[in-house]
Amino acid sequence: MMKSLFTHPFTKFVAKKAVFYVIVAFVAMTFIFLIPRLMPSNPVDVMIARASTSGQTGVNMAAVRQFYLNYFGFNKSRFDQYIIWWDQTLHGDLGLSFHYWPTPVVNIIMEKLPFTLALVFPVLVISFFLGNWIGAKAAYVGGKRSEFIYFFSVFCNRLPSFWFGMVLVLVLAVKAQLFPTYGGYSFGLIPSWSPTFFVDVLRHYILPFSALLVVYLGGWATGMRSMVIHEMDSGYVRYSEQLGFRKKKSMSYAERNAILPQFTGLNLLFNALIGETVIIENVFGWPGIGNLWIQAVYSVDYPLIFGCFLITMVVVILGNFLIDILYGFIDPRIRTGGGR
Amino acid sequence: MWELLLRSRKFIFGLAVVGAIILFGIVGPMVTRDPNKMDYTSMGQPPSNEHLLGTTIFGQDIFAQLCTGIRNSLIVGGLAGALGTFIAILFGALGAYKGGLADTIFSFVTSIVIVFPVLPLLIILSAVLSQRSLFLVAALIALTMWPWAARSIRSQVLSLKEREFVNLARMSGMKDTTMVITEVLPNMLAYIMMVFVLLVGGGILAEASISMIGLGAPGAVTLGQMLWWAINQTKYANWWTMWWWFVPPGFILTVFLSAVFVMHAGMEELFNPRLRKT
Repeated sequence: MMKSLFTHPFTKFVAKKAVFYVIVAFVAMTFIFLIPRLMPSNPVDVMIARASTSGQTGVNMAAVRQFYLNYFGFNKSRFDQYIIWWDQTLHGDLGLSFHYWPTPVVNIIMEKLPFTLALVFPVLVISFFLGNWIGAKAAYVGGKRSEFIYFFSVFCNRLPSFWFGMVLVLVLAVKAQLFPTYGGYSFGLIPSWSPTFFVDVLRHYILPFSALLVVYLGGWATGMRSMVIHEMDSGYVRYSEQLGFRKKKSMSYAERNAILPQFTGLNLLFNALIGETVIIENVFGWPGIGNLWIQAVYSVDYPLIFGCFLITMVVVILGNFLIDILYGFIDPRIRTGGGR
Repeated sequence: MWELLLRSRKFIFGLAVVGAIILFGIVGPMVTRDPNKMDYTSMGQPPSNEHLLGTTIFGQDIFAQLCTGIRNSLIVGGLAGALGTFIAILFGALGAYKGGLADTIFSFVTSIVIVFPVLPLLIILSAVLSQRSLFLVAALIALTMWPWAARSIRSQVLSLKEREFVNLARMSGMKDTTMVITEVLPNMLAYIMMVFVLLVGGGILAEASISMIGLGAPGAVTLGQMLWWAINQTKYANWWTMWWWFVPPGFILTVFLSAVFVMHAGMEELFNPRLRKT
């Protein structure tokens, strides 16, 4: 029993994917380590320069600089730094933030991460199911309306979500006064699990969520519509129609074949969605990783900047891994190891 | 090829819109006033006869900024698209043609880079490079955007290299690089053009996205930069009071990107007969 589990083609598939993403994670981590160290100017100097121009005089800057150089280990050899850095990161130590000194970067990120995930995953799942459903239904519509649906869904998909979000704020929040314009929760409320807080967050959530959702609905619908139209023309659907199958039955075959290629687009789309969420959080002041990240960039807070990138890569890698597994599970050729 | 293209309604429609916007970007900056000139007598004015799209908070003419913004965005998109296509061909075509170890390495690198999301990579690179010109921004975008293009070029080359004429060239003792450049690539020109068109669209969107959060080329007028100024430089407490500042650039962006997509879809239907009916 155990042996068959290990030699099962699906287990092999999962193991292969796991090894691949471990390699990706290694490359990403090395990249994060190298980027600030290969820059012409030392990050500590950049931050010190920033602090001196903002009027903090009277402090012994040379001593502060020495402290930070020691703190980040810049006075050690690069290889030693690399080993120490891996050790710290694997223990969940991403350093201390400069801007919020001396709060650990991990604590700040963990506080913001739920807000970002609350945007990304519902948008991904709902847009996938709803968008593909709309696309499959739109495939039946013929004539002039068909062309209109095509252009409309392309237009929705090509809306830059950050700009569409601004328009939503103008129309729904400012003119119609339905939703708050900015932030993740009202000023003065403290994050907790109380119903008041939940409702308040929900009211702030709807606009950024819809801005992203509309864009991704358009994407899935455009793709699914053309896939279903393509399948409707194929031999097996024509044949089942000739045999006198009910329209609904033959269409369900067409849709099932059309959805599989849609799944392969899920990885790329997930990566794009992560990026767009980072941008849109800044438009709405949604208190997630993206908002935190850009604030960190403005205040030249290197530990926080790279911490945010690291957590983004963790989410991306885990997400991609899950999507790959899901695809393997759904595609019978991979699940059973046949079709080779 | 062009005769064939002109038979697609989608392609013609897309080309017409893209062409009109490109023309706007070329002619516009020549006839409008200086987009950076500040006029303290008309600050933050809504659209009027004198200023077609109103003025910014510093009295700059928004119509003039829009024309220059379209031009600069097109320049960044075009450069990023060209460079991205070049990298994609390098990684996609050479590996696929050589086969064996070269192909394994090239496609492994591609499949690793494809996992890195474009915008976060751009943010991290912009954060450490504080001196950013439009050219640098375009180069960064090209460096982050090429993997999916390389992948699709690779699959094309794989199917092309088994054709008769490539075999003939190989038998005649042609060098590999020469053969890829003179035999394989010209025969997938249509395909490369499609990749280029999509990369230009993606490049313009990527530039707008990072400019939008203040990490584009400082000072250069682009569509994304206009949005960033509209949000961050208003004299009112709230940016939405000056709707004439942020609505036009985003609208042009959407129309341009939609047209690029439709154009690409038209080309795909023609060159990929499998999809011709859709």
